[in-house]
Amino acid sequence: MKRRDFLKASAVGAAGISLLGFPLPAEAAQSVTLTILHTNDQHSRIDPMPNDGRKYGGMGGMARRATLIEKIRKEQPNVLLLDAGDIWQGTPYFNFFNGELEYKLMSRMQYDAATLGNHDFDNGLQGLQNQLPKATFPFLIANYNFGGTILENRFQPYKVFEKQGLRIGVFGLGIELAGLVSKENYGETQYIDPVPVAQEMVQELRQNQKCDLVICLSHLGYSYKTDKIDDLKLAKQVPGIDLIIGGHTHTFLDEPTVVQNAGGETLVNQVGWSGIFLGRIDFTFNKKNRQKTGVSALVLPVDNPVLTS
Amino acid sequence: MVNNTRLVLQLRLRRSGEDCTFVDKLSNRPPHMKIRFRKSLGVALVALLVGACQPLAWQASPSLANTDVPVDSTITADPQTEAVIAPYRRQVTEKMSEVIGFAPEALGKAEYESPLGNFVVDLQIAQSQPLYGKPIDLSLTTNGGLRQPLPKGEINVGDVFELMPFENELVVLTLDGSTVQELFDYAVEKKWAPIGGATYTVKNGKPTDIKIGGQPFDPAKSYTLVTSDYLAGGGDDLNMLKKATKTEKVGLLLRDAILQQIRQLTAAGQPVTADTDSRVTVLP
Repeated sequence: MKRRDFLKASAVGAAGISLLGFPLPAEAAQSVTLTILHTNDQHSRIDPMPNDGRKYGGMGGMARRATLIEKIRKEQPNVLLLDAGDIWQGTPYFNFFNGELEYKLMSRMQYDAATLGNHDFDNGLQGLQNQLPKATFPFLIANYNFGGTILENRFQPYKVFEKQGLRIGVFGLGIELAGLVSKENYGETQYIDPVPVAQEMVQELRQNQKCDLVICLSHLGYSYKTDKIDDLKLAKQVPGIDLIIGGHTHTFLDEPTVVQNAGGETLVNQVGWSGIFLGRIDFTFNKKNRQKTGVSALVLPVDNPVLTS
Repeated sequence: MVNNTRLVLQLRLRRSGEDCTFVDKLSNRPPHMKIRFRKSLGVALVALLVGACQPLAWQASPSLANTDVPVDSTITADPQTEAVIAPYRRQVTEKMSEVIGFAPEALGKAEYESPLGNFVVDLQIAQSQPLYGKPIDLSLTTNGGLRQPLPKGEINVGDVFELMPFENELVVLTLDGSTVQELFDYAVEKKWAPIGGATYTVKNGKPTDIKIGGQPFDPAKSYTLVTSDYLAGGGDDLNMLKKATKTEKVGLLLRDAILQQIRQLTAAGQPVTADTDSRVTVLP
């Protein structure tokens, strides 16, 4: 079993708080576990990949995913189910039903939030608007300005979720649309540089919203050799994000990449495409005295996860 | 009453010079919790003041084991979800399972040129020509846009949807000679852009001996190129295509063009094969 070894901090803080006897669940508990489940680039893969010898043939399938998520929900008290965009495009289900079934099934699985990928614009702003009522979950996007379009004021940049008193801030970032999406499909939607936007989001979620964990749903892509912004560059340049759930590049990662930055570290994860895998990261929260254990006091080397049996 | 005690507590905490997130959380409590809070207020105040408001924060330790859970055949499909999908699937299956052609060999992708790439760029010209009504010199696609190979054996409508799921339209661009040169430079650099109507040789990482319609490429001339509206708009880094001097819609979706080509081949008693004449010569 792989695990990352953290320095043990003084337990004084945790013991102290329990003396107060407040009944708020998170404050009463010694530790709380949060389970993040995630997908990206589902590409309308309702049914499993055809089992015709292709790579990952026979894998995936939304009805199976529903079973898996239901099982995890029964085992875990605090689940957040998230998607990093490109829900649409890739099978005839999208061509014939325009994304309706994808949103319906995700709503049944109780997705908590998604962000927008470039292919989610494939039926234009109107096509997106037509299907949004089918989704019971919000689309979070902080760096697209829909001002002056039919989708103006339709999306929030972030949402704060509360689980047992823990506050989890989730925000969304989209890729530059020009060159990827036909102009007529995205219209006057403006793309804004994700780096300053992410900095603002971290500030807002940490300072004003008092979040204990900050998650970015990103459709920027995992890594490019060019200057183009990607999840690894974002993690390096914007401290304060705990987890980037990525998409667009259809990258399969055996485990999340840990990026060191000025504020500590950021995990970057992505699970390929088509719902072949369900991403899962469990965070165990322990009450610590902030003065005694700064974020920088965290851990051991990150690119060399400690292997224990 | 509750509000007043909260205020007092808040003031005292502020005075200690610390910003306690604690206070904010109290205000969010449901009423019954506030009452319980009041009862224990004396204890709480003492504890807080003794503790001099040391901010306490939740610190998260991620578990990095098993972070990608395979969704495979060991997981039973959820019956209720299946029931929602079923009527959609029935309609899709009916439309998709129609067999429209036969391929003796699978048509796949490769660098520079490939059976699948040649097949698509050639049919783009063949299917657009009658609608466009004027000669089309060149045809272009990219490997990224061709989502799945065409399988060996029977080809059905579903296979073509897998190959070309996008609602991309065919357009004819008019390009001046320097833009055409940039396009060939791109094709050589990226290796993922099959070009129809032309042959060329890759030498020292550059395109040489470019022939269009069998004639040597003339940088002083303009050429017409059929491609998808997606690529014409600069998709897949084809920014030079945005310099087209003219853009004309063919009035045909690329996927419909592929379906039509296969249906016509079958109607003529021909299998689905790609032209295998070498178009790109790569010198060592």
